[in-house]
Amino acid sequence: MFPRPRLAGITFAIAGLLAPSAAFSHAALIEAETAQAIRLHAYYDTGTPMADAQVIIYAPDRPAVPWGQGNTDSEGRFTFIPDTVEGRWSVQVRQAGHGAMAHIELHGETATVLAPTVAAGSWVQRAVMVALVAWGALGTALFVLRRKGRPDASA
Amino acid sequence: MHLPDGIVPVEMALAGYGASAALAALALARVKALPDPQAEIPRVAMLTTVFFAASLVAVPVPPVSVHLMLGGLMGVMLGWFSVPAILVGLFLQAVLFGHGGITTLGLNGMIFCLPALMAFGLWQLAGRRWPDLVALAAGSGAVLMALAIFAAIVLVGLPVVVDAGAERVALSIFLIAHLPLAMAEGVIVMTLLRVLRRVEPRLLPHG
Repeated sequence: MFPRPRLAGITFAIAGLLAPSAAFSHAALIEAETAQAIRLHAYYDTGTPMADAQVIIYAPDRPAVPWGQGNTDSEGRFTFIPDTVEGRWSVQVRQAGHGAMAHIELHGETATVLAPTVAAGSWVQRAVMVALVAWGALGTALFVLRRKGRPDASA
Repeated sequence: MHLPDGIVPVEMALAGYGASAALAALALARVKALPDPQAEIPRVAMLTTVFFAASLVAVPVPPVSVHLMLGGLMGVMLGWFSVPAILVGLFLQAVLFGHGGITTLGLNGMIFCLPALMAFGLWQLAGRRWPDLVALAAGSGAVLMALAIFAAIVLVGLPVVVDAGAERVALSIFLIAHLPLAMAEGVIVMTLLRVLRRVEPRLLPHG
């Protein structure tokens, strides 16, 4: 048997050990690690961002079943961290019947965007394309008429 | 208002190709029955170019931006010729500008060609009696009809994984934003026909 003062000392010591463990049983813990993320920016060819558009992600091993879903922010941006499955990840962004698909080839630490889906181009390029189409269409029309013996469009 | 690739199921895209092919065959048969179809070719070429370039004219209507469609103008001016003209224009828009997809070319053909033919029918019905009013109705009506077909295709072809409620809200905003365009296209058709009546009557539709 312990003498009374010594017993009290042992009791306090046990209480002192238990109290902190009870206080930390609901504590929040953070474990931090780095990961490779893919960041998208979806916008219309006028430059307007696709704000709050739906994003559907397909992993390489199950291309018909969505791996993840979400929404773009007000600037049309969306970020996700793919898991370790290597191969072609596909991401569709859609809104009101409009949208685009991006493909990202993932191999280890290397991620390659395979095809930008927006066929953009500067205004100069577009103007040249319009001029060429106009030239081709009208030229063909006049050629057809000339072969028929019509000198011009008003004949 | 062009459907891009990957938005609708493959079955719908194939059905769109079938429907557009049937419509094109019908239109070409009607064109062939005209007294001198080749005489129309310069007008067709000119308006195909205008239609092709029109999709580049974007007008900001917050929170979206809309672009000219000109289906009503094509229908009134070209009649049955508008079908091949629109299909060629859509193909060039898809290939050169990325406006609309290649797999959805058939569906986009239906979205633009059916309203054009509606405008043509309207013009033939009453264009001589009330040219201004009919031109306004044909231009505006074609946009509204195209919007209705577009929305129907999008909603019918909505995949299960897509949040249908969110898509409906986005589609409603998109449709409302196009209402000013409907009015504008009506005014464009009316104004253009007025100008042609004064300046170059030979370019007027023959309905």
